[in-house]
Amino acid sequence: MRAVNLLPVEQRTGQSVGAGRSQGGAYAVLALVGGVALMAFLYGQAKHQVSSRRAHAAALTAQAQQAQAAAERLAPYTSFVALRDQRMQAVETLIASRFDWAHVLHEFGRVLPSDASISSLTGTIGSSATATPSVSTAAPSTATPSTSTSSSASAASTATPVASATPPGSVPTFTLAGCATSQTAVALTLQRLRLIDGVKEVTLQSSTAGSTNSSGSAVAGGCSGHDASFNAQVSFDPLPSASAVATAAATKTVSDPTSASSATSAAPAPTATTSGATAR
Amino acid sequence: MTGRDRMVLIGIVVVAALGAAWMLVVSPERKQANQLNAQVSSAQTQLASAEGQVASARAAQSQYAAAYASVVNLGKAVPPTQEVPALIDQLAQATNQKNVNFASITSGGGSSSSAAAGASSSFAQLPFTFGFEGSYFDLEHLFRALTDFATPATSATSGNLQVSGRLLTIQSVRLAPSSSSQSGKGGVSNLTGTITATAYTLPASQGLTAGASATSPAGASTPASTTGAPSSPTPAAIVSVNP
Repeated sequence: MRAVNLLPVEQRTGQSVGAGRSQGGAYAVLALVGGVALMAFLYGQAKHQVSSRRAHAAALTAQAQQAQAAAERLAPYTSFVALRDQRMQAVETLIASRFDWAHVLHEFGRVLPSDASISSLTGTIGSSATATPSVSTAAPSTATPSTSTSSSASAASTATPVASATPPGSVPTFTLAGCATSQTAVALTLQRLRLIDGVKEVTLQSSTAGSTNSSGSAVAGGCSGHDASFNAQVSFDPLPSASAVATAAATKTVSDPTSASSATSAAPAPTATTSGATAR
Repeated sequence: MTGRDRMVLIGIVVVAALGAAWMLVVSPERKQANQLNAQVSSAQTQLASAEGQVASARAAQSQYAAAYASVVNLGKAVPPTQEVPALIDQLAQATNQKNVNFASITSGGGSSSSAAAGASSSFAQLPFTFGFEGSYFDLEHLFRALTDFATPATSATSGNLQVSGRLLTIQSVRLAPSSSSQSGKGGVSNLTGTITATAYTLPASQGLTAGASATSPAGASTPASTTGAPSSPTPAAIVSVNP
């Protein structure tokens, strides 16, 4: 009896599973088709992105160019406003770097005791090159301003874009000559001078009591009778630094000089004695 | 070659074909898309910057009238030229108001006429020596008036500066008994006040308005008045000017 294998040929032992008649070619075709489809999808997506982004970039670039053109058209306005701001800041810096002379003269009048008077007063700021006053023909000046307190003036001036005639760091100094009824009055005058706003140091240079000659005329420094003639030097705090001046200019701080005299509230009101050099 | 070997070989071939397609077709396109993405970002940044410049320029355009007024008025404090006659007029007016005799003016006393910093953009210095005669307090009031030619504004609504005359920086003051008259008003003795002060002028390279007119700056194609832009909410820098 002859055995007969009833299994189909493709399912008999020794054949690979799933190979079928195509020997696995169908799976390969399916995989290839699927892969190609995936690749086509990814390619199309990338292509779309490229085209859309290219168009977007072109549109943005065109808008940017239009905006830049508009900005360039308006550039003169920007430059002019910048010029205004620059000049404004420069002027504010110069204003902030000034010394308040009027307030100091006001303070001299406030603090000077009634039994003393000032016959001459010289105030200077800055180095010897810039602070030596020019002598005019109508009002000659023979006094030599103090030059010992302005060593840092020129160095500070280079730090600011605007060169002030009273550069930051320079020290205002007053040299005054006057008469007092006695040496005690001179001492009181020195004490009162220390009450002035911003005074750093008051130095007595000389004080000479007068002696009346036989004719009764004054002999001590132009002062009458036995009055004492004195000379003193008053030094103030240095002018604000460049950074402080710039900050003040930037914040537009307004300093009211008349409101800063609280320290001298105890000083007597000015009298006729202080209103003139020879009013006594 | 068995069926299994064939299957493996076919798989390798399919994978290789797909890999080649990825490498040669899809990947370059995706790379280009990424590059364009960076290009778009760059263009967006460029556009934002340009729009910022335009906004700034339009703000400047809307402020132009106020800025022009400010620059012109600043010219009273710091003129483009020496303007000595105007300075004398201002001093004479101030001395008359303060009962002080304007005795003398000397130009160029003791200081360099050029800017100390040496920068061409900084103001040039113009030193003067003035002689005045008056009482102590009249001279004090005069010094206050000279200072008040250019001062910070006292109210927040009036801008930054208040300019009524030449910006002066007083460097030295000397008060001495007057030799011409011994007694002034009310029996108060007169003093001779000698002050050394510095005025300033604009750099020679700049005019008062740098070529600008009241309607548009130099080089502008569109007058400020034709833009329809709203006026600046900020006040003019200088509102108080006493010609």
